[in-house]
Amino acid sequence: MSDQIDKMIYEVFEESFEIEKEQLVPEANIFEDLGLDSLDVVDLVVALQKKFNVEIRTDERIKEIRTLKDLGNFIIELQAEGLH
Amino acid sequence: MRRVVVTGTGSISALGNTMSELIHSIENRVCGTKKMESWNQYKGLQSLVAAPAELPDVKIIPRKMRRSMGRMSLLANFAALEALESASIPKETISNNPRFGCVAGSTMGSAEALNDTFETMLPDHDLTLLKSMGFFKSISHTVAMNLAQYFRITGCVIANSAACASSLQALGTGFDLIRHNRQDIVLCGGAEELHPTVTGSFDILFATSTKYNQSPEKTPRPFDKNRDGLVCGEGAGILILEELEHAKKRGANILAEVIGYNTCGSGDHISHSDRRAMVQCMESALADAKIKPSDIDFVNAHATATLQGDNEEAVAIHTIFGNKTPVNSFKGYLGHTLGASGSIELSIVIDMMNNNVIYPTLNLDNVDEACNMINHVQTKLNRKIDFILKNCFAFGGINASIILKKYEGINE
Repeated sequence: MSDQIDKMIYEVFEESFEIEKEQLVPEANIFEDLGLDSLDVVDLVVALQKKFNVEIRTDERIKEIRTLKDLGNFIIELQAEGLH
Repeated sequence: MRRVVVTGTGSISALGNTMSELIHSIENRVCGTKKMESWNQYKGLQSLVAAPAELPDVKIIPRKMRRSMGRMSLLANFAALEALESASIPKETISNNPRFGCVAGSTMGSAEALNDTFETMLPDHDLTLLKSMGFFKSISHTVAMNLAQYFRITGCVIANSAACASSLQALGTGFDLIRHNRQDIVLCGGAEELHPTVTGSFDILFATSTKYNQSPEKTPRPFDKNRDGLVCGEGAGILILEELEHAKKRGANILAEVIGYNTCGSGDHISHSDRRAMVQCMESALADAKIKPSDIDFVNAHATATLQGDNEEAVAIHTIFGNKTPVNSFKGYLGHTLGASGSIELSIVIDMMNNNVIYPTLNLDNVDEACNMINHVQTKLNRKIDFILKNCFAFGGINASIILKKYEGINE
């Protein structure tokens, strides 16, 4: 499941932020390595909501995300919560 | 007061992405109007024609700069790149110069971005899927803001929004900023983008051309007896205005001198053209330039091919210039590029002035009797042009006229 989630997250970064495939590795920092800023995070949230059919706009955990791995873990958490 | 000259021009429109493509198309009497096949889906839209531009590869603009640019800002950016290149001003020399400004206008922000915002939000009254850049693309100063950000302009940044007079007001404002010693160089102009809601705004007022949907190249028809309204176009025109001594000092190629400008309201009606206010606008521009009507060699009219507007402007021009001064309109080539029309068309006029040629009004086959009191240019004229006057008249009763003089270099 994690591989599939990573693939979908990477698609978001390619489609919404024009990030090259080679840069998309789990340890990539979305700000320092991939160049996103606070305005991009607004669009990242919108894109993730669409991609994973979740509502995360006001989820405080977003503020803690730094790497693509963090993001993958966050989505896994969300999906686990959805199962309960 | 200080003297102000034009040292660069750039344009993008239905007739190409450079000034040379634009002039080449006009020389060859190309009409940019096309049938908009996809517009059939809109109930009640009668005018299915427009003059669309084709954007170059936008990815040459870095994503972070591009993300806030709607279509009109992208168009402006490409025109500005050409204008700066034509003025021999490298992009990297602009930043950190508080004497380098930007004045640019449009009728409103990006119609496409506004439309996307409402289409996302309204079906379920849900804001959670709105993206961050909708605001920056939709705001009324989006063109000036994006130009200033991309070119790192740190001087005066002003956005003019006066519908079809926007970019001529931008040029007039830039002219004022330089002659009153507030700035040395100002990147000036305007941009506009096509969208069915834009054409629709005119369509519901019965101001658009509707009879030529099957023969788009025959419309719009300024001053023609078979004209039936305007055709919306899109594009951008950017001019580099510069203080004369500043331009001379850096060895710039001077294209023309700006010598007079005026803008005024009609104070009469929001959509009816008003010959009295048009006359006032042109006369005040002449007074500002300190020249007589007989000095003007050529008038580039606003003339969008609406029934009333063309008639009022012809009467107004006749009132001041009589029936000898040649008059043309470029709307038959470019459609009405609204807020961009002043700067795109003035760029063409500058080229004409320097080549001593006047291009005819396209689609003017039979002059309407109501417009027949002035000297319409129907075939290409070759003659010396030293002074020109250009008009833009906008909804809201806002008028603007500008006067240019040929720059003779060493004789000046």
